[in-house]
Formats: sequence, C-alpha cells, structure tokens
Amino acid sequence: MVAQEVTYLDNAATSWPKPPVVAEAMSRFLAQDAANPGRAGHRMAVAAERMLDTVRKELTEFIGGNDLHRMIWTMNCTDALNIAFKGLLRPGDHVITTTLEHNSVSRPLQAMSDSGFITLTRVDFSPSTGLINPDDIRQAIGPKTRLIAITHASNVVGTIQPARDVGKIAREHGVKFLLDGAQTIGVAPINVQHDYIDLLAFPGHKSLLGPTGTGGLYVNATVKIDELTAFREGGTGGDSASPQQPRLFPYFLEGGTPNTVGIAGLGAAGEYVRQHVPAKTLAHEQALVQRLLDALAEIEAVEVYGPSTAANRVGTISFNVDGYSPQELGGILDEAFSIAVRPGLHCSPYAHKSLGSFPDGTVRVSPGAFNTEADIDKLLEALREVTA
Amino acid sequence: MALSDIAEQLEKSDPSLARYNRQMLWEPIGIAGQKKLKASRVLMVGCGALGTVLANTLARAGVGHLTIIDRDFIEINNLQRQVLFDQQDIADQLPKAVAAKKKIAQINSDVQVEAVVADVNHTNILNYAGGCDLLLDGTDNFETRFLINDVSIKLNIPWVYGACISAMGLAMVIRPGITPCLRCVFETVPPPGMNPTCDTAGVLGPTVNIVASWQAMEALKLLTGNINAVSRYLFSFDCWDNRYQQLNVAKARDIADCPACKHHNYEYLSGKFASSTTTLCGRNAVQISQPAGSKINFEQIAVGLKAVGSPSFNKFMLKCTINEGQGERQRQHELTLFADGRAIIKGTNDASVARAIYSKYVGA
Repeated sequence: MVAQEVTYLDNAATSWPKPPVVAEAMSRFLAQDAANPGRAGHRMAVAAERMLDTVRKELTEFIGGNDLHRMIWTMNCTDALNIAFKGLLRPGDHVITTTLEHNSVSRPLQAMSDSGFITLTRVDFSPSTGLINPDDIRQAIGPKTRLIAITHASNVVGTIQPARDVGKIAREHGVKFLLDGAQTIGVAPINVQHDYIDLLAFPGHKSLLGPTGTGGLYVNATVKIDELTAFREGGTGGDSASPQQPRLFPYFLEGGTPNTVGIAGLGAAGEYVRQHVPAKTLAHEQALVQRLLDALAEIEAVEVYGPSTAANRVGTISFNVDGYSPQELGGILDEAFSIAVRPGLHCSPYAHKSLGSFPDGTVRVSPGAFNTEADIDKLLEALREVTA
Repeated sequence: MALSDIAEQLEKSDPSLARYNRQMLWEPIGIAGQKKLKASRVLMVGCGALGTVLANTLARAGVGHLTIIDRDFIEINNLQRQVLFDQQDIADQLPKAVAAKKKIAQINSDVQVEAVVADVNHTNILNYAGGCDLLLDGTDNFETRFLINDVSIKLNIPWVYGACISAMGLAMVIRPGITPCLRCVFETVPPPGMNPTCDTAGVLGPTVNIVASWQAMEALKLLTGNINAVSRYLFSFDCWDNRYQQLNVAKARDIADCPACKHHNYEYLSGKFASSTTTLCGRNAVQISQPAGSKINFEQIAVGLKAVGSPSFNKFMLKCTINEGQGERQRQHELTLFADGRAIIKGTNDASVARAIYSKYVGA
C-alpha cells in the first residue's frame, strides 16, 4: 500500500485516515443488517431504519437541532446544498453569498442567476483577514432578498466566518440563512439555534471523519415544509399509495434508498469525533498550522495568503513558492517527498481572485485530527530543500 | 490467369474490381483474394507517418472498410513523411483522420472510410475493434501498442506491429494463439523517456515507408487468406547502416509466461496499466500519471528535448516550452516532467492533446 507511506495533508478535501471504528461499523452493518431500511418491516429492515434514525438523532443533537426528522441524509455537502437551493428559492428571489464560497455554493446559484431565476450578490471578504464583514451583508439586503448563503470557513485560507452575526442579521430581516459547514463540522462549534441557522449543509467525509458518499442537510424548524419543493422525488418506503412525495420530514427530501452502509460508518465516526472533543481537535490543528505559519515566515521564497495567525481558523492554509507553479510544487511534494497537498483553485475561483492568486491558485495544506508535528516538520524540510 | 481472363470473369461477377487487375494477376491473390479484400474491415490505430502509408496502400489495394482513428491535427513538419496530407489540409485545419478520409475518397471511392478523431484508449478501443479482420499499428507509443495487443488476443484478431525512428524500424505480425504476442517479446512498456522519439531524434521518410510497406504487405497476405506466406519473424533494420534482419521470435511464445496471451489477463485493456490523465484544478493544464514504479532520467530527456525547445531541470523536475502548430492553430505548451514519469502539460484542458504531447516528446 502506497498510502501508508504518504504524509497526508489534504484533510480539507477528505479527511484521512479514518478512525478504525468507521470501517468496523460499516463492515458490521454490511454483514448483519444491510437490508433496505423501513420499507419491508422485517427485522433487518427495522434494524437498518433504527440505525439511520439513531445516527440522525446523534448528529441532530451535535449541531444543536431539536428534531431528528429534519436531518436529511444526502450523498455529500454539494447534494445538500442543491437540495436546499433548488427546494427553497422561488422566481425573483434575491440571494446574498460571498466570494469565499466553494463551487458547490457558487455554481448552483450562478446557474439560477444566469437563467434569470434569481438575482445574486456576492459580498467580498478582506484578503488580509480572510473574513467577511457582516455589515456588508446587511447592506446587500433588499426587499427581494430571500436567502443568505455563506461558508462557515474558507476552504482556501481556513478562516472561520462570523456565522452567528450573519445569522442574526438574516433573522432580523426575515431572510433565511444557510450555512455551508463543509470545513467546520466536526471541529468548529455549530449550533443551529444559537447561530440562527435555517439550513445547514455538511459533508460526512471531512472533519466528521466519516466515509465519502455521506452528508446531510438539517432543515431547522424555522423553515416550514410548505416553503420547500422536493429536489428529487422517489420511493420513501411509506405512504406508497400517495401519487405525490409525502410531505413529511425526512422522507419529503429523501427519495430513494439512502447510503445505509455509509451512514453506519458516519455514526461511528461522529461518536469518535464527540469523544475526542471537537474543541481539542481544533486546538490541535491550529497548533500545527501555527507551527507551519511561523516556519514559513522564515522562508523567503514563500508567500502565505490570508492572516498569519492560526487563531480563528480551521486547519487550512494556502501559500505559493517562488519559481514553482502550485501544480509543480504539489507534484514535487508528492513525487519526491510523498507529501499529499492540494494545489490549484480548490473549487473556489472567486476567493483566489480576491486573494490575488488567480488563475494558478495556491498550494493548500490542511492538517487534520491525525497529523502530528513531525508531519509539519517533514513538509517544512521538503520546502526548505526545494527552495534551497 | 491473363488479364483478359480476369476481365472476362469480372464482367460476370464484380466489374468494380477491374481496377485491381495488376494485383489480381498475382496468382496468390487473384479474383478470390481481391473479393476477400473488398469484404474485409481493418482498424487503423494512428494516422501519422506509418498510418498514412498504411491507409494509402490499403485503400489503393481495395480493402473494403477502413476505420481510421487519430487524435492529432496536421502540422507542416508532418508533410515530410505523412504521405496522405498536403499544405491545403493544414490551411483547412483538418484533423488527420478527416484529411485521410477526404484523400482516400479521391484515390478510391469504393473504400468505406470511418474517420474517428479521438484518443484511443482502454475505454473506447473495443467499440472500434469489434468486427474487424485486422488491426494495424500506426501509433507512436508502447502503451497503445500493448492495448492493441490485448484487444487482438481478447477478440482473436491478428494485428501488425510497426515502429520506426531515424533510419531504424521494427515490425511483426501477431496472430493470437499462433505467434508470440507483443508482450511475449517486449514484456512491459519501457519507462517514459527511455527511448528517443521521432520528435526528439528525428525520422526519415524512407524508414517510415519501409516499415509501413512491410506491414501493408503482411496485411494483404492476412486479409486474402495467404496465411502460409505471413512472416513469422520480427523484422528489424537500420537502413542507414544497411543492416536488415529477421529475428526468429517463435520461441518467445514458449519461454514467456505472458500475462496477455497465456493468462488472458488484459492489463492494458482493463486500464490497470494505463497512464491516467487528470485535468488539474487551476489554469489550463492536464496531468498525466504513469503506473507506479516508473523512473526517468532528466538528463537523457533534456538532450532529446533540445531538438524542440530549451529544457531546464533540477533534481525535482524538468521544464520545457514547446511550440506546436502554425498560424491560428499555433499553441505553446509547457511540459513539466517529474522523476516518476508524471507530467503536467500546460496550455490545454484536453487530455488527448496532452497525451499526444507526452508521446511525442517524452515517449512511452
């Protein structure tokens, strides 16, 4: 296995490795209970349904929700975002988003804007702090504004955004607030009540340490089911006589057999994450990032983007090295040093435009829960050798 | 049989074959062989130097159906050896496969030509090879040859290998289950950059014509059912130093524990050994990755690349800017090569363009 020798620093894309309990839970579920949930009523089906709901409940509590039925299983965060945008928005709506967004937010909204379905405002962030100013969002609100959709943390520079402040502004103006928790769920605190979040989209495969193919959309009680349309219709296991999708959470938004094996893994991953205390994991990642930032400041050929401190950020930083394109440096780190990083635009072209790193992008380094100081030092040693 | 006899017989059966009377005069082909040619389908993989000679020869000989696959457009430096193309094709910015079809229609409109502008690889080759009587190698890289080899064995279709550089050539007929296959003889793809390519070491027109004419002759034997006349040797020559050899490779089939023809383990057709391309996040660049374990020598490759650019390298990577095409189609590509054979080709988002550059300037 090549992967065993790799120093993996691409956790912002997908966390790796996973706690062994994840594979164990998936394997056990496959071997014992992997029937179609609900539908049939036999004991295996009931066990599968119960597992789905147990994990629903645990994750709902984890994000401060109060109704497990409003936790919708999705295939990833992109899926959750599409379900939210296409389910909530109506012709003529105005949407406010930011230039920090990943394409999973930017592209669906851009497509809706291009087709004349919605109007769209992108609020810029400060390249030096990596932060959105909530006042800029407040000022962008107009009479037709229906939704404010922002990322909780930049996937390029890692800065954690003032979600609560933005949520409060949204609530005060009667505007819905969607938070993209891709980079934060599992490390930074998210509370849908406290942060005024109406819709929370998140992946299972990043800091929640779950398998790929899992994710969720939490629809807070502030969004009535009648305000939504189903992004996809299909079998729900119950209410089969109805020609329409049953207007009942989670089934309204969950047509088709869910990824039960993946959710079994996500359940085990979530338990692991909670036991190891997200705040401690975040502090660990921040310490690694600070170690990296301090050392990079000493290497003349390196230019770091965003703030120079690890405070108020997830374990993600971006930089470039003189004389090498990000792709070249990424290639060298992989080929000559077996270090996995992510060069390029990180699916966030607007962020790179604001940072001045468009179109080539940057090299992104994102340590995760299982990285160590030795991993950071190995990267630094490699960078010193390349820039020597 | 005399010309008059041929004319008389064709009058009753197929007058359209009359144009081939010089070929039918050759007894082993005759009218029966000519009819077999008309009924046959041939897949030509690649339509560059070897491919144009092959297509030209087989179309004139009356092969009924040719499928010609090539991913490239014609460039002025191709005309020195690629016999089906001319300056007007370049002005018209035609892909090679399309220009070949157009030219063959002028030469012999009885030949059905299917022109496919595509990168042939493990995901699509079976779509083109099924139902063919023969596969012909007009490629410039070993990876595609091993892919053709897998298809040949899997579908039990013979193929004719051909390769050339400078004044040297190699060619061989592979008949599944009868002769050794290409992997019995060459086991694996040579590491990237180990061998010079026509674009770094040059190639002479006559070399191409000798190899492709040899391939075409074997193709005629195979397609007309003259199996006993088919070469069982690896033909090898250097026509600058005047050395011509026929290597007896028959034993290779017994010696080699060949994954392809002995174990029917099609490692290239399955994609397991295929190089992969990724369009990189960022600007206009494609990354080509080689199967694990490749190692290349920057110094050696830099020597070759001096023919087309100014390569520079350090211990981590080699860079070279390569200009291709003319006029409106002129493009600049930046090749960055890493020690494990992977490459980043800037200036394109098209995987087939990147693969073509890799084959031409690095070689695999």
